Amino acid sequence: MEKIDSKIGLEVHYQLDVGKLFCNCPSILREENPDFIIKRKLKTSAGELGEIDETALYEFKKQKEFWYETYNDSNCLVELDEEPPHSINEKALDVVLQLCLLLNTQIVDQIQIMRKTVIDGSNTSGFQRTILIGRNGFIETSKGKVKIATICLEEDAARKIQETPSYIIYRLDRLGIPLIEITTHPDIKTPEHGKEVAQLIGMYVKSTGKTRGGIGSIRQDLNISINNKPRIEIKGVQDLRTIPRIIENEIKRQSNLKEIKSEVRKVNIDLTTDYLRPMPGAARMYPETDIPSINITQEKINLIKLPELLTEKAIRLEKDFNLNSEISNLVIKEKLDIISLTKKFSNIEPSLIATTYLLTPKEIKKRFGINIKTKDIEETLSYYNDKKIPKDAIQKILIERTQNKKIDLNKYKTSSSELERDIRKIIQKHKDLTFQAYMGLIMKKYRGKANGQEIAEILKRYIKQI
Amino acid sequence: MSNPNTGDTVKITTSSETIKGKIMLSTDKNIIIKLDSGYNIGIKKQKIKSIIIEKGYQPKKQKTKKIPIKKDLPTISILHTGGTIASKIDYETGAVIAKFTPEELIGMVPELKDIANIKCKFVANIQSESMRFPHYNLIAKAIEKEIKETKPKGIIITHGTDTLHYTSAALSFILENLSIPIILVGAQRSSDRGSSDSHMNLICATKFIKETDFHGVAICMHNSMNDDKCAILPGTKTRKMHTSRRDAFKPINSEKIALINYDSDKIEMFEKTKPKPKENLKLKLIKEDIKVGILKSHTNIYPENIKHFKNYDGLIIEGTGLGHFQTKSFDKISEIEEKNKKELEKLLKDTIILLSSQCIFGRVNLNVYTPQRELKEIGVMGTEDMTTETAFIKLAWLLSNYKKEEIRKLVTQNLRGEIIKCSNTNSLK
Repeated sequence: MEKIDSKIGLEVHYQLDVGKLFCNCPSILREENPDFIIKRKLKTSAGELGEIDETALYEFKKQKEFWYETYNDSNCLVELDEEPPHSINEKALDVVLQLCLLLNTQIVDQIQIMRKTVIDGSNTSGFQRTILIGRNGFIETSKGKVKIATICLEEDAARKIQETPSYIIYRLDRLGIPLIEITTHPDIKTPEHGKEVAQLIGMYVKSTGKTRGGIGSIRQDLNISINNKPRIEIKGVQDLRTIPRIIENEIKRQSNLKEIKSEVRKVNIDLTTDYLRPMPGAARMYPETDIPSINITQEKINLIKLPELLTEKAIRLEKDFNLNSEISNLVIKEKLDIISLTKKFSNIEPSLIATTYLLTPKEIKKRFGINIKTKDIEETLSYYNDKKIPKDAIQKILIERTQNKKIDLNKYKTSSSELERDIRKIIQKHKDLTFQAYMGLIMKKYRGKANGQEIAEILKRYIKQI
Repeated sequence: MSNPNTGDTVKITTSSETIKGKIMLSTDKNIIIKLDSGYNIGIKKQKIKSIIIEKGYQPKKQKTKKIPIKKDLPTISILHTGGTIASKIDYETGAVIAKFTPEELIGMVPELKDIANIKCKFVANIQSESMRFPHYNLIAKAIEKEIKETKPKGIIITHGTDTLHYTSAALSFILENLSIPIILVGAQRSSDRGSSDSHMNLICATKFIKETDFHGVAICMHNSMNDDKCAILPGTKTRKMHTSRRDAFKPINSEKIALINYDSDKIEMFEKTKPKPKENLKLKLIKEDIKVGILKSHTNIYPENIKHFKNYDGLIIEGTGLGHFQTKSFDKISEIEEKNKKELEKLLKDTIILLSSQCIFGRVNLNVYTPQRELKEIGVMGTEDMTTETAFIKLAWLLSNYKKEEIRKLVTQNLRGEIIKCSNTNSLK
């Protein structure tokens, strides 16, 4: 078999949680029924130099009516393409400038907002606004430098809800959410390296503390070509753990083809890919005329503060709160405000606070299929913090709280004298058992009602007497 | 260093790199180039060490196809006057400007050629806020010429939206005995974008002219934020009521003339077609040196505001409420307003003054309160249920074509549908 020379590049997208890019609406995704629906059609339009882009034309040929689900309290006329865009969201711009510095890119002197023609209806205007801000950067990886080609700031598209032969329903909640796009050069050495690079870039982006969570908030595309043949773009990689497999499958697919045409493909559930649309060209872009271009001055860049990297933060949390590295990474991943919580629950060791917030709900969900609310965790921990309940009762109370009953704390608390009397009774009833056997018997009865440590201490005293 | 032009493919070398792209714009400080990826970026000139032109810009030749005339279709003319509907990107400034030929308009809305045989003429290229009385005359003359030469079933005027309703009122008055439809069409989203309302507004106007016997001046724009129907609105009783929405134009103290369903081609008429005028079309132009002003009344107004109009032929005061304007004092603080009346009396010697209402909806009535009765006595007249904009155009037109005594009678007479004597019960929506 001949040797395959593959070139692999990555394009990652992260949503930012700083409001929308060109209006003042909140960036919240909605699940309720919309307040109203606006129905539109789109027409192709020529790009700046008078050429209609191939992608735009392809989408035009399968034209449909577009229905936009709109919410009175979280959408405005900008998302409906009924009002010109407002000035750019400065917070989003600042996050991108932070990343430009973190990823060692050059920052464009004068940035110009571009309109990228999109006529599948996912943008009410018929275009997506996008800005090239950083160029020619790099990151250090285990296999050497990976060059960062570009860092762009874009507006996210509307969410597709339903498609029928005659119309597509989109929801406007996602339209306009700021999206950072980071594109690498094809410097990725192996399929596994692809995952590493994606993870590393993700760490930098998340370090800004301004990324959105949830399904679809992070999207990765892959650019793959083999033996200097045309480039294939693969869209919609959701889980970065699947990156190595997708790369392997695509290289295998391409190496079995006689002729390769540059195109955009989408990822299937089985991590193979299918044709999506032709590769977009430069004719697809023309300037956004409703907003003037912006000079990024050295003074502005000097004001940008770099965030603490999450890798550094994890080490700091381990040290400051005596957490193991698994828990400290989880605290970061789930954005748990461990600093305020340790102040609030000053009698509880930080690792218990973190596990109760981050692991206990998962465990309860897995064992009993019950969802625990943050509010209930807070209340239960405050009982323990105030020494109203023993440690062992935390999980029981959490489960009981989901049943909306009034909680009788006394149930969980056994007075020491009562406990001691009962332990004596048990020892008299079951003579000549080992310490462990007594513990087992007593704990079975008192789990959640008394502190295990206290039981052990009482038990030790009586066993000695015997 | 070579001096590149817009569109040239260049290699720019800076202190840190070499960038390839197409020149878009050169400002004092920066050069903006388009990269192969399609993105535009600005490069500081002081960083640039050299620019090499790799390929000069060669504009692509536009293919203009001749459209065959279909005998079974009516002829409809489109007169181009400018505005968003006919706007394109300007490479020089990056702004949207009106800059294209009538052929390009057909190229952008090819559906038109299946509805009618379309004739395109260029009249002006102007942003509508810059329209002046001579422009109205220019358009009216172009219409007259087009009717004589082409004999179309109707004429579409493409126009900027800001003052579209002023032009529709002006044409309504200027074109006496008009026997064909003149439909003004604008766009709230520029034609260069996929979501533009221009093509649907144009197509609906064309269908309306083709399918109905309507004659007169009207406006055709989106009926709602949906791309489903366009409304035909009366030329003298319509106003732009929103800065940006597609359905910005609404009838004031009146109803829509018709609704055109874009998909089904169904036309709902809400008005009976009037009999066609027996006499020939006559142009009653607006004198180009006529000066009419509009004064919006507001609290804390000063007599100087009125004085400003001393050389004007006419003045519309857009009063408050039923047509109120401060001419009386109620206490020491409001004493200054007594002077307003004196200034009005001085002005009335040479200037016709009309009072309209900034309420927009409803009718002016100068009988209800004493100060208004006094204004009426000194010669100020109310504008009935006309919009301020229509009253402004009507007064300029009356001053151009009639004597003062006639004008005083004609102001409150309905001449072109601008006054409805019974107030519409349903107009405020």
